[in-house]
Amino acid sequence: MLRRVAVLGLLLCAGGAAAQAPAAPRRVASMNLSADEILVEILPLERLVSVTRWADSDSGNITGRVPASVFRIQKADLEQLVALRPELVVVSEYTDADFLKQLERTGLRYHRIEGLATLPGIRKAILDLGRAVGEPAAAERVAKAFDAKLADVAKRLGGVKQPRVLYWSSGMTAGADTAIGSLIECSGARNVGRELGITGIAPPGGERAFVADPDAILVGTWPRAVESVKEEPLLGKTRAVREGRIVVLPTSLLVALSQFSADACVELAARLHPDRVPAKRP
Amino acid sequence: MLLALLGLLLVALAAATAAGSVPLPLRGVVLSTLAKASLYSGPAPLEAPLETILWTVRFPRVLLAALVGGGLAVVGASLQSVFRNPMADTSLLGVGSGASLGALIAVQLGWASRVFLALPLAAFLGALVTVLAVYAIAHAGGRPTLYGLLLTGLAVSALASAGTSLLLVTTEEFRVKNVLFWLAGGLEGRGWTHVQLASVLILLGCALLLLLSRSLDVLSLGEDEAGSLGLPVHATRLLILSVSSLVAGAATATAGSVPFVGLIAPHALRPLVGSLGRHLLPAAFLGGACLVVIADMVSRTASGSVDLPLGAITSLVGAPYFLIALRANEGRG
Repeated sequence: MLRRVAVLGLLLCAGGAAAQAPAAPRRVASMNLSADEILVEILPLERLVSVTRWADSDSGNITGRVPASVFRIQKADLEQLVALRPELVVVSEYTDADFLKQLERTGLRYHRIEGLATLPGIRKAILDLGRAVGEPAAAERVAKAFDAKLADVAKRLGGVKQPRVLYWSSGMTAGADTAIGSLIECSGARNVGRELGITGIAPPGGERAFVADPDAILVGTWPRAVESVKEEPLLGKTRAVREGRIVVLPTSLLVALSQFSADACVELAARLHPDRVPAKRP
Repeated sequence: MLLALLGLLLVALAAATAAGSVPLPLRGVVLSTLAKASLYSGPAPLEAPLETILWTVRFPRVLLAALVGGGLAVVGASLQSVFRNPMADTSLLGVGSGASLGALIAVQLGWASRVFLALPLAAFLGALVTVLAVYAIAHAGGRPTLYGLLLTGLAVSALASAGTSLLLVTTEEFRVKNVLFWLAGGLEGRGWTHVQLASVLILLGCALLLLLSRSLDVLSLGEDEAGSLGLPVHATRLLILSVSSLVAGAATATAGSVPFVGLIAPHALRPLVGSLGRHLLPAAFLGGACLVVIADMVSRTASGSVDLPLGAITSLVGAPYFLIALRANEGRG
């Protein structure tokens, strides 16, 4: 008798939970580039009502994949969002709390994409977003592909000597707790930014960067990326620059905080260890 | 004159409520407003999303713009009387730089993205602490002169600005953008809660300053003259500066840095209504409200890709106006 009551109770709870769980949103608005990149992969495009304007960047990771009918968000504009009538809005980790409260007051639900500073965090964000938009299976497939690429790189780089790499962008480097730092470390290298005791994106100073004597300097493909390193008074005299070891990675991959981070890892590993990892992109 | 200014403000409010990235038909806005006041019971004047935009997003923002502009203008007019200085405005008390420091601390600690109202409350606290520091330091050696108070305000402002710069350098890049938008002034994301909080301090503070308008007129004659007329100069000055700080703090905390409003509105209206506080303060409130409502409308609609900073718009209007007024004044002199 007690067992029957317990089973009935469990059935009632399950039914209640199913009744309360929000239905999968039919219209999803994205206000975050990482979310754009993930959603293009996991969501049927007719359910995507907006992406950020950076989805159309030259040489971006999803350039040309988002139909013109999908609205491009130019700025954080609550009125435009309401007019799009989304059922779910994907926002960034750093979106202002007051803006989100206003969003809720207009009757919109939001999902915050966060934890993108590490590769496990990006993987979790993919799965969380998949659940939020009602596409857990698709997100699982993307996450599996993500894992497979990283596992392949790790296997190829087993026992390799790790070069010390310094990321450089307008005087800033990436220390611990950064996606770029994670990228450097997954590609079989050591992050000089972390060694310098830096956390986040911060300026190490030319002197500290010079004394650190990195084996390679990592930059993106923004204008004059390589030239600015060579022209930096102290950085330009480092062994890495003199020996021509400025490693260039496409900016779209360098700053990717989505499934494309795995591709970034592969590409950086290929540039740092060409004998171990074949490059997929020129 | 006051009626004309009130009419201008109502027109500005109507235009600003209708204009935006999602245009609302003016007729619909008016009918929806009448419906809210139970003065219209016809078919729904606006579609549901537009109603939501109007009452949840657009109208509170426009109302807040009016409150911020009115408050800053009244404070500017009051400080110009107290300091007998036509250049006096809220920046003299360190309100702006203190609010900026408070806001940046909230952003850097991540509160601004996690806790509702964390940013404006931190900004208000920053403004209050800075103003208290100004008073405490100025009073350290006994009752300060106006000149001493002014210089102390400038010095403490500079210290707060230095703190802001130091923190900015160590703030994560993606958070810096949030702060920069706030530092440049703007009302995006502000709603009814911000209106409620700001209105209490701004409206009460402005009402109190209006009640003190006679004292302001006496103070504008000079401290010695005011004292000889029986006004308790020090206590009155302290009260006016305290109330002004609260009003300016509330305005800056909700809208960020919005310069020149406290200078332009009183200057433009003084030749029209005279210098007496009981005429100038209400006129300054209405004029300042008009200015910021229109500036916010421009900030929202001038560009499709970004909200122009509210502070930049008021500066672009204020600085040339000021130069022209200065030239005209020197010409007459």
